[in-house]
Amino acid sequence: MRRKLTGTAMAVALLAVAACTGGSGGDDAAKDPGPGADTSYHKGTLRVLASSELSDMQGVLDQAEQKTGVKVRPTWTGTLDAAELIASGKADGKYDAVWLSSNDYLRLDPGAGERITNETPIMSSPVALGVKAATVQRLGWQPDQVTWSQVHQAVVAGKLTYGMTDPVRSNSGFSALISVASGLSGAQSALTDADVNRAKGKLKEFFTGQKLTSGSSGWLATAYTRRGSVDALVNYESVLLSMNRDSNTGLTVIRPKDGVVTADYPFTLLTSAPQDARESGQALTSYLRSPEAQQALTEQTFRRPVVPSVRPAAGLATDKRRELPFPGSRSVADGLLNSYENQLRRPSRTVYVLDTSGSMKGERLARLKDALAGLTGTDESATGERFRDREEVTLMPFGSDVKQVRTHTVDPGNRAAALDGIRADAKGLSASGNTAIYSSLREAYSHLGGGGSDAFTSIVLMTDGENTAGSKAVEFDSFYAGLPEDGRATPVFPILFGDSDRAELEHIAQITGGRLFDATGGPESLDGAFEEIRGYQ
Amino acid sequence: MKRIVGIILAVLLIGGVITAVVAGRESQVSDTATKTVRGVIGSEKAEFFADPDVIKALDEHGFTVKTETSGSWAMEEQLTLEETDFAFPSSTAPADELAKKFKVPGTPLRPFYSPLVVVAHRAAAQVLADNGLATLDGKSRGTLRMGPYLDAAAEQRTWQQLKGTAGHAELTGTVFITSTDPMTSNSGALYLAAASFVANGGKVVGDKKAVDQTAPLLKQLTVVQGSQQPSSDAPFRDFISGVGNPLVLVYESQVASVLLQKQEVGDLVVLYPDTTVNSDHTLVPFNENGRALGDLLTTDKRLRELAVRHGFRPQGAAAEFTAATAPYQDFLNQTLTGVRQAPVPTTEWLHAMAQRARS
Repeated sequence: MRRKLTGTAMAVALLAVAACTGGSGGDDAAKDPGPGADTSYHKGTLRVLASSELSDMQGVLDQAEQKTGVKVRPTWTGTLDAAELIASGKADGKYDAVWLSSNDYLRLDPGAGERITNETPIMSSPVALGVKAATVQRLGWQPDQVTWSQVHQAVVAGKLTYGMTDPVRSNSGFSALISVASGLSGAQSALTDADVNRAKGKLKEFFTGQKLTSGSSGWLATAYTRRGSVDALVNYESVLLSMNRDSNTGLTVIRPKDGVVTADYPFTLLTSAPQDARESGQALTSYLRSPEAQQALTEQTFRRPVVPSVRPAAGLATDKRRELPFPGSRSVADGLLNSYENQLRRPSRTVYVLDTSGSMKGERLARLKDALAGLTGTDESATGERFRDREEVTLMPFGSDVKQVRTHTVDPGNRAAALDGIRADAKGLSASGNTAIYSSLREAYSHLGGGGSDAFTSIVLMTDGENTAGSKAVEFDSFYAGLPEDGRATPVFPILFGDSDRAELEHIAQITGGRLFDATGGPESLDGAFEEIRGYQ
Repeated sequence: MKRIVGIILAVLLIGGVITAVVAGRESQVSDTATKTVRGVIGSEKAEFFADPDVIKALDEHGFTVKTETSGSWAMEEQLTLEETDFAFPSSTAPADELAKKFKVPGTPLRPFYSPLVVVAHRAAAQVLADNGLATLDGKSRGTLRMGPYLDAAAEQRTWQQLKGTAGHAELTGTVFITSTDPMTSNSGALYLAAASFVANGGKVVGDKKAVDQTAPLLKQLTVVQGSQQPSSDAPFRDFISGVGNPLVLVYESQVASVLLQKQEVGDLVVLYPDTTVNSDHTLVPFNENGRALGDLLTTDKRLRELAVRHGFRPQGAAAEFTAATAPYQDFLNQTLTGVRQAPVPTTEWLHAMAQRARS
């Protein structure tokens, strides 16, 4: 279905990103040497593909290592990307286990199902809505009585905006999508295509309230805090309660009364893992199921224990909720994702500010062209493997200044026109001139500022060197500070490539509320970075 | 058809986890050289074979047992006679198939068994009782009336349509029991066996006509669940965690094991379906060593006690189980009074039913 993973490069890129941004990465990722890292198996250390929000389990895992001698080396990943990595067989030999928020999606893929075994749920956390206390009051809500229909009505009335991760990339977003589709369609059991179709009108209205999107639940929380103007956040109950504890966000955690989808974090072995690793995995899960570990994890992370002798931490509501079934077939799950991507969500307006200075000549430019062509996809591409319907894509190649501005909008009735046009423009890029990063970014902001449409706007900056022409960093900073609030809401996602300056790009990401992506790894790392950014657009 | 199912199962379940259970060699009670016996087992027995006391007891009889877990229906594809001394699936049907296929002489051994039960929280159990779908014997135990339950399922009755659900947010949506994937997992398949027996007028399904007749109901029981888990551990853990569906099909041994570990189970209610299927853990020996292990598990007093610790009912006069679970009679129906055992269809028909239900 979605964008094809580029295997190792992707994994390495993810690792490196976690390492350099520190956003969702834990200590282990930060210590990892990154690209070219030793991925071979070492006795006593499990190589685990893990959901990024599990970085909050470090304390429990340190304790587990002391008690069992088994160390976890996590590589943070999105649930659905992990499913594809496993299904493709590319995880074999590189990872021993996978620890995601849920295996529901994984199991729908026969290619992935055959490669996993011994699924052991460790803890649970429902996807919930965290709402500012003032908003709850303004809406007159009784937190334990709120339904998805009420949330929908509040959005339609213009009284509620929220952030949510991209369901095509992240399990919390996907879970929310299933919950809302169930709630708004009135489905009484597992969702069917008919339920989804019946609810489409309301779902589209519901998603007009989504003002923040993200490829991971960790970055979503950061973006929410930064933005300040968004009323609510869809995320795991555990993440919301941790935010309240750590950042005094004061969110009222609402588990809608008409049902939730709950993550149960099954620690799962890959069938390809060495026997020794499987034994380590079993020792680890036995410990994680012990009352001691369960007590620690609920207190430290606000997840719900799965052994009866341990009570949920204070702050976890004990009234029960209906569990909404995860779709039983791939066609329903993928149909729902496809509808979200191309019809239900607000469209994207995306500007690609592309360094085509002289230093890009040769192999670098060839890689950029390939990456852009892959990103664009074709009319035939599956969900998530091409630019979305209704998406406005602008290519802005620059050298000493912006060389041209080419904009294409993907028309659902004639996708090929825009997609072919973007690929042709990418193919026609040529390298020359100096590197005017900041002046070009200013032009990108000006371009987006003129639109005034209701869309997710973002700027991707790909450069292979330092700024050598046009505006200086301080000039850009004051330009950005002078933008109206709407303009400042557009983040820049810089890609570290070639000889670009990490500090310079980190600064741009930081002041605009974006995130730095690393493409200095293997030959496919640029594709990987472009692809991962899609979750943030 | 069966071949295709077999292939699908093999693909789905290839490479179950290898659990090497190495006997604790520190106990030098036995002078005899230990025999290493290798087997393929159902995953619900993994904890039993990993229990240090079980390892010690086996070692005292000269056995080191190494096990690899597999879905009961996938063992045929997974084992090789050169390397495997026994198979230990969770019910008789796959065991009989294995015995036939590998021409095992003598009868298979059934050291212990466990009936399928439904767990519910008290509010849900009370609603079922108030609406004629269950009867309760005290606050933590009862009987699920399969006839009325299957009627409700066929009509897609919702919790809201039952009286007494007001004020319970979790009791909304279609009434259904969460089971495991019948294509790969024993308990999910046995659920269909019990339901089909009732739906077929108290006769075991044994021909295409009966499969056709019961298919719409079995499909209904299955599709409402959406994605199904591959083993009964996961839905049971969700239940314990306070999330998940109100009604979950598990082995009695899972509940008994938690009770025997003296863990607090809160308002859990065990509902014994009035027509259920026992999971007969059946050991198929491929050689002398395998048979010796099977005999030992069946007859050795200490090993029978240890099986009880993990919630299983030893075959024969199960004094051990009755004694050990005496404090938990509020939850457990020790004598299985009022519970009828449905026979399990042959593998051929069970697979056919599972496939139709999942289609």
